[in-house]
Amino acid sequence: MEQPLILKLFYRALTLANLCTLLAHPLSGQTPDDPRFFTKVLYPVLQMAGCNGCHSDDGVASATRLHFPPESASDADREAFGRQLVSLVDARNPEQSLLIAKPTNRLEHTGGQRIVPGSEEEKLLQLWVKHLAVGASEGNSQTNRSSAGEPEVQPTFMSRLTHSQYNNTVRDLLGDETRPADQFPQEDYVRGFKNQSEVQSIPPLLAEAYSAAAEKLAQNAFRGNHWRKVIPCEPASHQDTLCRTQFIRQFGKRAFRRPLTAGELQRYSALFAREAKRTGQFVSGAQLVVEAMLQSPNFLFRMERGPAAKWTDYEVASRLSYFLWDSMPDDPLFQSAASGQLGTAAGVERAARRMLRQPQARQALDEFVSQWLRFDRVLNVVRDRRLFQQFNSGLAVSMTEETRRLVSQLVWNNQDFMEVYKARYGFISSDLAALYGFPAPAEEFGMVQFPDRSDRAGLLGQATFLTLTSKPEETSPTERGLFIREHFLCQKVPPPPPGASASLPPISESKPMTNRERLQVHLSNESCATCHRLIDPIGFGLEKFDAIGRKREKQALTFFAARGEAERKPTKVELDLDAKGRISGIPDSDFSSPAQLGQVLANNTECQKCVVKQVFRYAMGRFETPADRAVIDQGFADFKRSQFKFQELIISLVTSQAFRETARLD
Amino acid sequence: MASKAILSRRAFLRGVGISGAMVSVGLPPLDGMFNSSGTAYAAEVAAGVSGSALFESRFLLWFNGNGIAEKYWIPTETGSNYTLTPCLAPLAPFRDDVHVITGLDNPSARKPGPGNDHHRSMSALVTGTSFTGQGAGAPSIDQLLAAKLGSASRFRSLQVGVCQESFGESIQRNLSWAGRDRPLPPEMLPHKLFNRLFGTKDADWMDRKRSILDAVRQDATALKSRLGKQDQMRVDDYLGSVRDLERAIVSLPPEYSRVEEPEEGGDMKDWPRIAKLQTDLLVHAFASKQTRVASYMLTKCQGLSRFPWLGHTAERHHDYTHDKVETPEGMRILRDICKWHVQEFAYLLAKLKSTPEGEGTLLDNTCVLFVHEHAEANAHKNNGLAVIAAGHAGGLKTGMHTKMTGTVGDLYLTVADEVLNAQLDSFPTADKKLSDLI
Repeated sequence: MEQPLILKLFYRALTLANLCTLLAHPLSGQTPDDPRFFTKVLYPVLQMAGCNGCHSDDGVASATRLHFPPESASDADREAFGRQLVSLVDARNPEQSLLIAKPTNRLEHTGGQRIVPGSEEEKLLQLWVKHLAVGASEGNSQTNRSSAGEPEVQPTFMSRLTHSQYNNTVRDLLGDETRPADQFPQEDYVRGFKNQSEVQSIPPLLAEAYSAAAEKLAQNAFRGNHWRKVIPCEPASHQDTLCRTQFIRQFGKRAFRRPLTAGELQRYSALFAREAKRTGQFVSGAQLVVEAMLQSPNFLFRMERGPAAKWTDYEVASRLSYFLWDSMPDDPLFQSAASGQLGTAAGVERAARRMLRQPQARQALDEFVSQWLRFDRVLNVVRDRRLFQQFNSGLAVSMTEETRRLVSQLVWNNQDFMEVYKARYGFISSDLAALYGFPAPAEEFGMVQFPDRSDRAGLLGQATFLTLTSKPEETSPTERGLFIREHFLCQKVPPPPPGASASLPPISESKPMTNRERLQVHLSNESCATCHRLIDPIGFGLEKFDAIGRKREKQALTFFAARGEAERKPTKVELDLDAKGRISGIPDSDFSSPAQLGQVLANNTECQKCVVKQVFRYAMGRFETPADRAVIDQGFADFKRSQFKFQELIISLVTSQAFRETARLD
Repeated sequence: MASKAILSRRAFLRGVGISGAMVSVGLPPLDGMFNSSGTAYAAEVAAGVSGSALFESRFLLWFNGNGIAEKYWIPTETGSNYTLTPCLAPLAPFRDDVHVITGLDNPSARKPGPGNDHHRSMSALVTGTSFTGQGAGAPSIDQLLAAKLGSASRFRSLQVGVCQESFGESIQRNLSWAGRDRPLPPEMLPHKLFNRLFGTKDADWMDRKRSILDAVRQDATALKSRLGKQDQMRVDDYLGSVRDLERAIVSLPPEYSRVEEPEEGGDMKDWPRIAKLQTDLLVHAFASKQTRVASYMLTKCQGLSRFPWLGHTAERHHDYTHDKVETPEGMRILRDICKWHVQEFAYLLAKLKSTPEGEGTLLDNTCVLFVHEHAEANAHKNNGLAVIAAGHAGGLKTGMHTKMTGTVGDLYLTVADEVLNAQLDSFPTADKKLSDLI
């Protein structure tokens, strides 16, 4: 591997060059007494060492006391951060401070050696540590409690209806069950979800799709006598202005999810009147209005930060209904908005609890689960039939159904949600039972206790997770570890450096290797190991479950005849498996089965907090920022206090100020 | 119409333009615009302009994902007498229509930042900027060109796709980008592309649609005035799409009798079949001047296609590029896959070349760039990229293999300004023109 060493040397040279340049300038802050020393001299060293790759709110070291400020932080923020590092300094024995011992790996550091003992960089760090130690022992407390200055306010974008929300909305608005959004250009996953508002644009292809859908929906709504459901009055003629106004107000309020402005009423009345006059039919005017409103930005978008204070309660209503029901508000919710009942946390809680009891809430939960757990990857999976005869698309559907039902059980029965990692029972179909080696269930997807001999539990033991994290022919410990870090611990692992080789040693009949052996190459090279140490060992602990979730005692390698070679029977080599795994950064996390891993995760604070974060990201359509810390902490506290009831987490989030606040901040 | 007034196409569009003054809706539009062979503008012909200068050039960005097997793809010799490698063999009838370019660098792919190599290389390849963590960092080259060249066409640009299998993220599924984090998804279904291009509607329908979009536009404008800056940009984005939609609606599709409507059913995963249907439609779109700029995404970035017609079904494309490439069999599989991509490209060239335009063919007025996100696929190599430039627009040199020193940005800028006369003047990572190209 040529590149990594070269890169390392390059970066060292660059740092030294920078340091020399800095030290050459008279006013460069070269001593710690200079207020610019930390930001101008030491902070770049820490950046170069890559500390913030893990030591951030969403990094692998998020459970430690060291959180770097975000990239956009000001110099003042960074100065404050630098002073706050005194908490990692031992005033009486500065050389033994955590702040030096960890990055040099003198004290075992999950991130490895980031700063070389005896180097220039270490000298600078020591200068700073001594400076802080002196300040601390002189009682000169300049520490700031927070690691950064004023938390930045994340701009919240207006949200476009997702495709599933569009389908549900037209169902509730018009009684139309044709699901037109299934034909729209598919939504992409961005940072784990399909609903992140920052990237929800409307390209021309989608605008055309909205136009075509609106046309069909409007036609369907006025077919036959169906129009009576949409028009609330009996028009005396095509020119009945009273009925026209009544219709536009009533339909418009539901379509735009708030009362129409005078301008909108006038605009749509004119549109209606022209068309009704052209055809001589009241209904055709109404149809045109429906078709137009379905393409208005007032229908397609939800305002997160609305333009008028008088609509705040309506915006809260929409935010509630799109989160809890994945659809528009119903009439009682509109009435609550109209009568000002959604202006308080108590009012919102009342509404939310009512909504959670309705069937739409179940569908909405299913949508969250299918995105969080990437059902699309399972449903699109393809497996080599020679190796996995059992696998077919029906089995993939059963897999996602099992997962969906477990989560539903825990949420709607108000059970401890962390059971999702520990549950020694599941909802099994007969094809899954055959896959797992269980007795056939009494009914399809009935609840079944796992046999004692089985070491499956929760999500990690389900074929859904085990399959979507595998490659077509074999498991991928790296992929499994990465999925667990990102989806269950909310810890971002730094990406591979540019140019990192993606080759693994080839396997052959003469040189067969288990996955663990093959992946040694990640761990024996220091520049790869820094990050792979954080993920591969997690996957190793699950190696006794193959690429479609079957239990195996050995890894079987099958070698088929290559094309062009003489036909021969495939040869099979079986290798012993070492299925010991651990999660770096979580003490006492050794495990060798999904059940053991499930216990580790369920009891881990970061994992519990990650449930809160994932729900936040989905509900808000954006990732959490330092400004959201209070909401996340409160959500976690409420979640924990309730013994991890998912519905209580939801209530905590919807009653938070961040969720209820829609006033403009600029 | 009694007398066949010769209308210029631009006048026609102005007449039914966004300003609302209705002139020609209801006019049978095409007699007055096309001569008898259906391929020239009568007005320009009457003005006495002739030859290929009469026809505006077209640009096509053509892509397949994952990279190549260099050993079987990159010719060893340079110059005009290079031997076609196994992967390039399908180009044999088109030697004089293509310029094989190797050696280009994609430097923005190496800037540290979020994402894996595929994400970073893809953003860098089409925009010259870094992956943002969510999408590409800037408008893609075809969109920059569309902004300059596309304002008079029915569609400012078209995005066409074929294979759908992908890891699902935005940077992997989209080739064209309107701007930072703003993808332009491709149309991947032939019958839908057909409807878009050639579906006909009557004047009443168009009238209706126009009044609807008018109302939508007014709603958006009223809303905008009361929003914060960030949200205003979102609404502007939607307004832009509404404008494009209106333009597409009011410009009536040409009577172009050679277009057959593709059937809606059939094996929708038969990628060679779909690829050809999409190519046919795209060529028709070019020939009928509905657009001047397009992109064609054969497979996705870090794509996961399967290849049953090649007999390679055990794994997906991306797996094949890594798993067994050290073995002779693994390399042969990659060779077969790369060759198929070039076959589809050759099909495109055949179609362009067999479409008459003026005194020559459509290929004479087109410039195609065939790109991939990586060179050697297994290594995720982002320097020494292999690109095929094709067509004869603007004096593009063809018939040779040249190893060039420069970046992909240099290539784009050279094509944009020297071949297409688009006057872009700059592109990220471009700092010189590639003189060997023209």
